[in-house]
Amino acid sequence: MGLLPNDTIEVIAQSIGINNLSPDVAQALAPDVEYRMREIMQEAVKCQRHSKRTILTTEDVDSALSLRNVEPIYGFASEDPLKFKKAVGHADLFYVEDKDLEFKDVIEAPLPKTPLETAVVVHWLAIEGVQPAIPENPTSGALVVPSENKKTEHDKDHGLPIDVKLPVKHVLSRELQLYFEKITELIVTQAGSTLFKEALVSLSTDSGLHPLVPYFTQFIADEVTRSLGDYALLFALMRVVRSLLHNSHIHIEPYLHQLMPSVITCLVAKRLGTRFTQNHWELRDFTADLVAFICRRFGHVYHNLQPRVTRTLLHAFLDPKKALTQHYGAIQGLAAMGPSVVRLLILPNLEPYLKLLETEMVLESQKNEIKRHEAWRVYGALLQAAGRCIFERVKLFPGLLSLPVRSTLESSLKVATTLDPDTAKGIVSPGNLSSTLRKRKVGEVFSSQQSSKILSESLADSIGAASEGQANVNLGESALVRATGQNSDENVTGSSRREKGLLNKSERVGSVLAQAWKEDADAGQLLASLVDLFGEGMLMFFASREMSLFL
Amino acid sequence: MEESEIENAVMAYLKRKGFRQTELALQEEQRKTSSSAAKTDPEIAKQIIAYAELDNGPVRYREEYSRLRTWTYNSLDVHKHELLRVLYPVFIHCFMDLVAKGHSQEARSFFQSFREDHEPSHLRDLQKLEGVLSPHHLEEMEFAHCLRQNKVTMKLCKYSYELLLQHLHKTESMVMLGVINERINLQVPPGQPCSNSEEVEVVALTGSSQEAVEQINQKEIHWGVLEDSLEERLEKEILAAEAEKAEAEDKEGHGEESKKKAGEGGKSGGPNKKMKKDKLTGTTGKGVRTEANVVSSAPRVKAELTMPTISMEVERSALEDLRNRARLSSSALPSVSFYTFVNTHYSLNCASISHDGGLVVGGFSDSSLKVWNMSKMGEQHGEVADGQNEHSAGLDVGKRSYTLLQGHAGPVYAANFSPEGEYILSASADNTVRLWSSKLNANLVCYKGHNYAVWDVQFSPVGHYFVSASHDRTARVWSMDRIHPLRIMAGHLSDVDCVQWHANCNYIATGSSDKTVRLWDVQTGECVRMFVGHHGMVLSIAMSPDGRYMASGDENGTIRMWDLSSGRCITPLTGHTSCIWTLAFSCEGSLLASGSADCTVKLWDVNASSRTPRMEEKAASAQRLRLLKALPTKSTPVHALRFSRRNLLFAAGAFTKSP
Repeated sequence: MGLLPNDTIEVIAQSIGINNLSPDVAQALAPDVEYRMREIMQEAVKCQRHSKRTILTTEDVDSALSLRNVEPIYGFASEDPLKFKKAVGHADLFYVEDKDLEFKDVIEAPLPKTPLETAVVVHWLAIEGVQPAIPENPTSGALVVPSENKKTEHDKDHGLPIDVKLPVKHVLSRELQLYFEKITELIVTQAGSTLFKEALVSLSTDSGLHPLVPYFTQFIADEVTRSLGDYALLFALMRVVRSLLHNSHIHIEPYLHQLMPSVITCLVAKRLGTRFTQNHWELRDFTADLVAFICRRFGHVYHNLQPRVTRTLLHAFLDPKKALTQHYGAIQGLAAMGPSVVRLLILPNLEPYLKLLETEMVLESQKNEIKRHEAWRVYGALLQAAGRCIFERVKLFPGLLSLPVRSTLESSLKVATTLDPDTAKGIVSPGNLSSTLRKRKVGEVFSSQQSSKILSESLADSIGAASEGQANVNLGESALVRATGQNSDENVTGSSRREKGLLNKSERVGSVLAQAWKEDADAGQLLASLVDLFGEGMLMFFASREMSLFL
Repeated sequence: MEESEIENAVMAYLKRKGFRQTELALQEEQRKTSSSAAKTDPEIAKQIIAYAELDNGPVRYREEYSRLRTWTYNSLDVHKHELLRVLYPVFIHCFMDLVAKGHSQEARSFFQSFREDHEPSHLRDLQKLEGVLSPHHLEEMEFAHCLRQNKVTMKLCKYSYELLLQHLHKTESMVMLGVINERINLQVPPGQPCSNSEEVEVVALTGSSQEAVEQINQKEIHWGVLEDSLEERLEKEILAAEAEKAEAEDKEGHGEESKKKAGEGGKSGGPNKKMKKDKLTGTTGKGVRTEANVVSSAPRVKAELTMPTISMEVERSALEDLRNRARLSSSALPSVSFYTFVNTHYSLNCASISHDGGLVVGGFSDSSLKVWNMSKMGEQHGEVADGQNEHSAGLDVGKRSYTLLQGHAGPVYAANFSPEGEYILSASADNTVRLWSSKLNANLVCYKGHNYAVWDVQFSPVGHYFVSASHDRTARVWSMDRIHPLRIMAGHLSDVDCVQWHANCNYIATGSSDKTVRLWDVQTGECVRMFVGHHGMVLSIAMSPDGRYMASGDENGTIRMWDLSSGRCITPLTGHTSCIWTLAFSCEGSLLASGSADCTVKLWDVNASSRTPRMEEKAASAQRLRLLKALPTKSTPVHALRFSRRNLLFAAGAFTKSP
């Protein structure tokens, strides 16, 4: 019943010339053979441990046999895996196929290559506890470290020093040097070329770039401070930053503190590029996404990263002395961090800020075309940020928009689309279409200032009514029906009626609010105040949601 | 109760035991009193019948054990773990009983059906026992023999004990009762059931009984550091210099004057002023101060061995190193220099590094020792670059970059540098220890004495004396000038796998395959501490420089930190996933470095882990506190670690291509 069946004993006996082994003997021998085998293996494991190995070799078994004063007969290590063959006539008996070799063949075979001489090489595994990124150290270490850092930072109040101390001699291979030179040259000279795009791909995927990271960060920091006027270069640099951040083989955290100032600069600098025609807005949008990405990826490692960034941005946003471009960058940056940031930081300051902005936006008070354009840009950014935020809220509280409202929203969407062509005509500045559209639409609201005043008044009224809890659903519905009719008329008749429609819509929003009030006072209030501030433009965001719902 | 049944049972028993006379007498008596009424006490009758059945089957073992097991698993949660602990000794003794009675088939099937229960905590033991198939093996096998000889001591709270007895009586599990009575020494302390954290008792099954261990651990030991050590001298010197400086500052109001004086103080106190500065800043930062004083706060003890004299030159260099020692703490981690052996073809068995990192020795399975001189290696390159000394360099070096030391006749399992690096000791499977001179590159002495392969050898912290550990289950203390051992430490139940000196040279610690670590008094040769708790073969030991703590690592990747005076395990440090080949304390004892087969060097905070865990401190949170840093290597298992006197950490390992 043991590990060794009696058959095995018989076969072994036969192999050494005992042909008539009685079954009794075999039965008596089997357990003992098993015991001896285990004994030898136990000793072999000891030898293996003392040879500081984790795999058992034939040598260990030999040593174990000699420890037990048995002639080592176990055999030799072989390169090939052993081939087991089934013994004929026995069900569960296997043996190792051992081919006979001709002496001649063995002797005449060419000598194998002499194995390489054992040698010792020295390297720094760690310098003051930090592993330098050299080929001798495992590359995966860079990927493991973040989680570890996280752990230690959680656990210890005295945290590890995060700055990496580079080895005294930081040797770059010739290839890496060439690579670095080539890339920097590309960045400076031909940022638009396809070659540069290839370079970006390489930067985001190549695994051997870690030694270059300090050089790149230094280069980026230098270039950003040196050439704030060169829009193309700045954009190229930001793209490089993005590629580096996306490279999973690079352990970039130690260099973040060097990178962040440059990135933030590209977001909230007063002037980026020399000419007005250059689309620095796009650069700011791109950088805003980059900042948000950094916060998302490294926020858990450096707990104070996001707070610090948001603080910087909020300062830029709330400082009325700062240029509008800076405001724009700050708003975009904050918006990119997500709706909750917007809700907590932007929305509370929205009303006073818009008051300031209004004067900049209107033709009467601000004669400078460029300034006005900037103001509209900022307005657009704010609208988008607030809209996204409320969109998220609506997603959370679907009850906010009950079914009857949908139709109106649809219609308002229609309005938006019909508005599209005639607004698009008048676009002066380049830029992304949707934001311009939004801007224009809002402009529409504001162009008829009187009506917008009425609008806000009526809205305030309806909110007041809602807060008293006298929401009349029927009334709201009938209003809706009317409004839809009007809206469809409007499509035909044109802009003169639009104002009326808007007014009606604001009423409807009031009724919507009245419904929402019960479900989520907070969100409802938020929505109300937002609509109050932005007018119809806000509705876009529900519309888009409804769209997705219908799709 | 059928009277005849009882009679038959008694008869059968007598027949089997060969008590013919008694049998006849009984039959005689029966015939006489055949008419007499049944007056046998029913209780006794039950016992008799049970006893009769006892022998009629190995089946009973199985039945009763499985009944006991089911009952235990269904018992109350509070008592369950206590009862479960009882289950293991019952299980192995049932098995051994079956084997002893010759029912090897039944024993085997019994073993197989229940082994799963105990595998998690006793895998190695079970693997050993598995092979036991005949009464003869029981006798031969040390482990089994040991188990049969000694009663296991188990603590069981009163209620659990009663529950157990009640169950056994109710179900008439006489066999189980017998096993428990015979093999287990149940201690029933009053009070609540103890927590399952006291796993020590379970493991104590390995060797001598718990009592014996406790008795051994009662013995007095003096764990302090040697009096008049270099560190102490340095400390005094610094204190003197400091005092002098303070004095000077007190006296002289003028800045210039005091500066000048301080300069003088620096000159007289020691060449290094920076050290003093460190010291002064240390007084402001409390943490640094306390750490610096760890060593000095340890009690002083007299050396029991005659200490070798240290030459002035050596002493000077040692003092210089001490002055330049980097202060390490949980926030100031050491630099690690890694020596990678390449192209070893799995033949590197051991490695050792001299105190200054200048020499590295590797012991190979082809019986050779190879010594690399790292400082020369640098020179060589320089010379070749110069192009002038090319000839001499060529002559000196020949083909090899190392010095080959041949002499052993079996795999070299351990090599060790003397404290100053002028001698190398090597231990081999050929039962010998050899002493080599690293200056002459020649074998000086061959120490024969062990009967089996020598696994480990260690120079004492002061040199001259050394200790070896062998497969013959002994550790032996030697001095360099004698070819016979001075002391033989015998007592381990299995191979002595690793050995280490205590900081004050009065004790040595040995780790063994019997899963224990023992501390021996060098003077008397007797075992003064026994540390039970490892779940596998102990592979490495390190002693803290203040002599108070000891760390030991086993083949499962667990490191245990022990308090020498109490013999208790302070804490297990878990994190490694494979064999711990080497352990090293930093020079002032604030950090512990461990090197493992899982290709990492880990740094542990000793101050955190040696603090006795308080009740409110959760084990898990305390656990994480201790690991400071894991440094992965590039598929290189770490064979050796050593802190230099300046607290630079040297590590060595053989690069192994991942299959």
